Amino acid sequence: MSCDELQDLFELYSLALLEGEERSEVEAHLTRGCETCQKNLKDALAVNAAILASVPQTAPPARLRRRVLAGFGIERPGWGWLGAFAAALMLVVALWLSVQERRRENELADARRDAIQARAERDRLAQAFQILNQPETKRVIFGEGQPSPPRGNIFVHSKLGILLIASNLPALPAGRTYEMWVIPTKAGAPRPAGLFQSDARGSAINLLPVPLDSLYAVAVSVEPEAGSPAPTTTPIIIAPVPVA
Amino acid sequence: MRKLLPALLAFAILQATLRFKDDSDLARRLRARDPHVMPKLYDRYGRAAYSLIYRVVRDAGAAEDLVQETFLRVWNRAQSFDPERGALGPWILTVARNRAIDHLRSVEGRIAASALELDRIETPALFSSFEDSALTIDRARRLKDAFTKLTPAQKEVIELAYYEGLSQTEMAIRLKQPLGTVKTWVRTALKVLREQLSEAAVAS
Repeated sequence: MSCDELQDLFELYSLALLEGEERSEVEAHLTRGCETCQKNLKDALAVNAAILASVPQTAPPARLRRRVLAGFGIERPGWGWLGAFAAALMLVVALWLSVQERRRENELADARRDAIQARAERDRLAQAFQILNQPETKRVIFGEGQPSPPRGNIFVHSKLGILLIASNLPALPAGRTYEMWVIPTKAGAPRPAGLFQSDARGSAINLLPVPLDSLYAVAVSVEPEAGSPAPTTTPIIIAPVPVA
Repeated sequence: MRKLLPALLAFAILQATLRFKDDSDLARRLRARDPHVMPKLYDRYGRAAYSLIYRVVRDAGAAEDLVQETFLRVWNRAQSFDPERGALGPWILTVARNRAIDHLRSVEGRIAASALELDRIETPALFSSFEDSALTIDRARRLKDAFTKLTPAQKEVIELAYYEGLSQTEMAIRLKQPLGTVKTWVRTALKVLREQLSEAAVAS
């Protein structure tokens, strides 16, 4: 096929929806690097982006921002005592509501969540291997030789981040989550480093994929489902990390 | 009016450049793995990503999970993003759409495109040298009018492709129409949208 004949196919190609001969033709032209097709591809990407941006705009719930940012170890600005009290009150109400809501959730919703988590897990494992694979990665063992408290390994890479692999974690009460904390210096305040859950046997992996300026210790505590800006319970893991 | 027009035009161009510059700063910090860029990135694109994902999966809980997955993926892939020439918005929207479609397919038990296939179409390198990347969202508004020019069948196939991830063969089966007919609808619809969009670009 000529470049002109392919002109209408680039939008579908960029959506991974082109099949069979049409797809192999487009691929062949792009590999060949012909200018017309490169330009048509760029134009198609612009068309696609505009169409994708044209859906009705819906504001996401405010908690999503906090959840997304917690995954990158970003904390929100402090609120002072009154704010913290109001937040705690709201959290209690929200928790109660979410417990009620959760009861009504059907199996389908659970299955969907499982599917997303499985894919997120796949992504995380790929990054975890990346950290494990670096020669400069430091390894810290915690809880060694003790039968019941949590034990496991922490892998630290100054550019790639922190990988926590833990087992023997205590079962979580409903509406609770584990939250990892990074303690930057001996006297430094713990910073949120991501929320995670364990599997049925009490094993878990948590990855904080951000570079680290300084690190004194890594901790894990049990927190309300939405996470906390600072630990609210005694940590179940505190592991000093003897690296710069 | 004649005197006003060049001034307006200059202002529009200035605004476009400013916004573009702003985005390249975000992209540079993203590439440098500066986590403090994430609040800004989320504030700029979180709503668009959420809206798109919600439009596809129609489930607020799943949409939240997928937005989180989208930003994590953007963070992890940004190393090969070109901050000077890359178009952050279109790239993030593509990543968001792919997460949503992948989810929809697994829920509906359809054959999912392989992870490799999705990686290929959202590789950051593809999203370089857009002419007016920052204006995509503005153009999207104009695109809404373009949709009114499509016949119901043309509109349906576009929605099936973008928001449900159906190939033309799958559309033909779902709509109980010959493949040739479906292909004509898709082709004509895209042509209309493309033309409306380039007119919009000229007009701005």
